[in-house]
Amino acid sequence: VSSGFWSMGGYARFVWPCFAFACLVLAWNLWSARRYRAAARLRAMRSLLMAAGGES
Amino acid sequence: MWTWFYKLASPPYVYGAAAALTPWFLVLAALTISYGLVAGLAFAPPDYQQGDAFRIIYVHAPSAWMSLFAYSTMAVAGAIALIWRIKMGHAVAAASAPIGASFTLLALVTGSLWGRPMWGTYWAWDPRLTSELILLFLYVGVISLRSAFEDPARGDRAAALLGIVGLVNVPIIHYSVLWWNSLHQGATVAKLGKPSMPGSMLWPLLSMLLGFMFFYGAVLCMRLQGEVLNRERQAKWVREAVQS
Repeated sequence: VSSGFWSMGGYARFVWPCFAFACLVLAWNLWSARRYRAAARLRAMRSLLMAAGGES
Repeated sequence: MWTWFYKLASPPYVYGAAAALTPWFLVLAALTISYGLVAGLAFAPPDYQQGDAFRIIYVHAPSAWMSLFAYSTMAVAGAIALIWRIKMGHAVAAASAPIGASFTLLALVTGSLWGRPMWGTYWAWDPRLTSELILLFLYVGVISLRSAFEDPARGDRAAALLGIVGLVNVPIIHYSVLWWNSLHQGATVAKLGKPSMPGSMLWPLLSMLLGFMFFYGAVLCMRLQGEVLNRERQAKWVREAVQS
């Protein structure tokens, strides 16, 4: 890959941080959504287990 | 049409549809974003005025568009929930808010980094920038308001109302560059007539926009599953859903 690509015509210090921050935001969105869904699933399972314990 | 609309009021249907759609959205997002990145960074020619700095558009414009789209989705879902008393509307609104807030932050940061070499400053109290910043505050307000009440139903209603009121900011953001003198450039793609970009620059941009929309769809579906589970914890169908 040519050095011209990485230097972005002298604008590298503005262009690459934008793309890096975009990657960070997309990765955070995926991570936090998965975490939120997993936590909700765990809470629902706990709630069901407690309900089953109360019935028996 | 109404049958389909009423189906959306059913939590198991919404949960199942969100679970089924997530992988498709993720694959489509990966494909379109990959094409957009490669074509935009490596193959699109530099702009005759802005040089390679214009490539920031490939993350800035899609994130700005998505900040408005996610807000509109949130407000419309909140309105549906208030008018028709469909609880899933509040779930969609709650799921959309943090994603929209993150896209708004991304639009502001990338815009700021683009502004430095083009305008000579990271920030100006320009109508477009200021109204986008207000959008971020609206997102933060909606998210905070939802969790500020002990009764979740009251929090949902208050957040939906604020979301609907804040919707007035969406056309202000879009038309701010036409209504007031602005440092920000005018519309490049979303305007009447031909886009002011050649195809080699435009296709990667449209691909990135599509990719961000698919990505939003995927993350919305994942968060929506969590929202539905949180709200329907006691329901019988949840037993089968969480054990699968």
